[in-house]
Amino acid sequence: MKSPFPIYDCHGHLGVHPDFPACKYAPEEMIQVMDHLNIEVLAITSTLACYSDCPRGNAEVAEVLKNYPKRFRGYVTVNPRPAGQALAELQIWSYFHTPPLIKFHPDLHKYPVTGSQYQPVWDYANQTRGIVLVHTWDSDPNCGPLMLAGIGRSFPQARIIVGHSGVTWRGYEQAMETAASAPNTFLDITGSQSHRTMLERMVARVGAERILFGSDMPYLEAAMALGRVLSARIPDSDKEKIFRTNFRRLIGEDGS
Amino acid sequence: MSLSAIDPAFREVAEWNVFDANVRVGRSGVHGEQALEPDDLLLEMDRFGIRKALVSQFAGEEYDAAEGNRLLRGQIGERLVPAWAVLPERSFFESLTLAPPAAVRLSFGVLKHNFSPAPWCSGELCEFLQAKSRLAVIQREDISWEALAQLLSDFPRLPVLILETGYRADRYLFPLFEKHPNLFIDTSMYMAHRQLESTVERFGPDHLVFGSRLPLYEPGAALAVLATARIPAEARQSIAGGNLRRILGVASV
Repeated sequence: MKSPFPIYDCHGHLGVHPDFPACKYAPEEMIQVMDHLNIEVLAITSTLACYSDCPRGNAEVAEVLKNYPKRFRGYVTVNPRPAGQALAELQIWSYFHTPPLIKFHPDLHKYPVTGSQYQPVWDYANQTRGIVLVHTWDSDPNCGPLMLAGIGRSFPQARIIVGHSGVTWRGYEQAMETAASAPNTFLDITGSQSHRTMLERMVARVGAERILFGSDMPYLEAAMALGRVLSARIPDSDKEKIFRTNFRRLIGEDGS
Repeated sequence: MSLSAIDPAFREVAEWNVFDANVRVGRSGVHGEQALEPDDLLLEMDRFGIRKALVSQFAGEEYDAAEGNRLLRGQIGERLVPAWAVLPERSFFESLTLAPPAAVRLSFGVLKHNFSPAPWCSGELCEFLQAKSRLAVIQREDISWEALAQLLSDFPRLPVLILETGYRADRYLFPLFEKHPNLFIDTSMYMAHRQLESTVERFGPDHLVFGSRLPLYEPGAALAVLATARIPAEARQSIAGGNLRRILGVASV
């Protein structure tokens, strides 16, 4: 079983995690799995950066991009604290991708996505038409999906990926509400919960064009998201958009 | 179940003789439109080539064990094998003695049936289940790791199936797998990157049984994880249904 379309995966990682053993996480091992499932490109963010050290984490991403430029794209992961570090990181690693791919993890960084220290980064994303992947979780005070609706409207040139679409059933409802009110928001299906009928509901409510395939590799199992899309009661043309076309177009790699 | 009913992307599943260890049936006060009555549940199983399922009743979990069993009695059949809700109470003992079920569901949780798995509370029940080699099915959220380790030590011949361990559990599970061949987990939420195949490489397939978490989760997710695991075909068949049939003593269809 594999994807019938070469996948452009919007949500991957690099590194290990503190709370359970990591398996087969070396870039070479990840590429083997990507080939096995037909994932052509994986956009990665440093897990080290999501937890404790953005400068060192982004440097690890740079190394992987250098070694495997065809298979990986790199998010610059930023922490709003200490002040000034986020914009500095965006400058240092500005060559990762054009338009810039930026990752926020307000849950692990314990800072609200609407907080003032994120504002310079939102301005930067707005000016550069950057793509900002924001980790979200159902009603989380730092990154509940509903918090992104106002940001989307305030920074209309930024493209915002609602990471995990809020994860839970209620989180998905919140993510869809945000997508309905801010046209520059996109829904990422990455996540550990595979709610039955949810993908069909998302397509009906926001349209397949706003939904992105994400795996969370090598944190979560990519085949889980693959199975969700393969088994959804939606047309194959919508599956192709979700697997490939949407993220490829969003990051400007569709030749248009 | 006809092959044509299976979603084309999942045709290979038909060859696995899938016996799903984690399915609930009936109305749910918590999950609303996601819940399915038996006819619709069977259609969903058909769509994914799931031959049989070990089922419990939402009412038996959310409300009352006896009421759940009463409803479940009218919903089971050749493809839906019951996991009866039981309590450490006299009336349940009498039912178990009259017609011992293949599997029982123990909902220790404070917000569920609210009793202790410790011997002073559940010892007699577990002794009975162990003597009859019946499968005890327990949701992970309903038992602490310490209590589970004690249960497995106290009743080494009682088969225990833990549902919905989540993907962060390996630092608990691996030491327990080392010591307790009577511990099994379902795969519905065992979803970290290459976790299933790595566990098979280390322990073999014997501790794993396929679970979809129907009707709440999309079976395609757990099936795709099993389908794409780089493990021997025999291991895949064991996880898909062979292990659960062996545990339940049910003949392969």
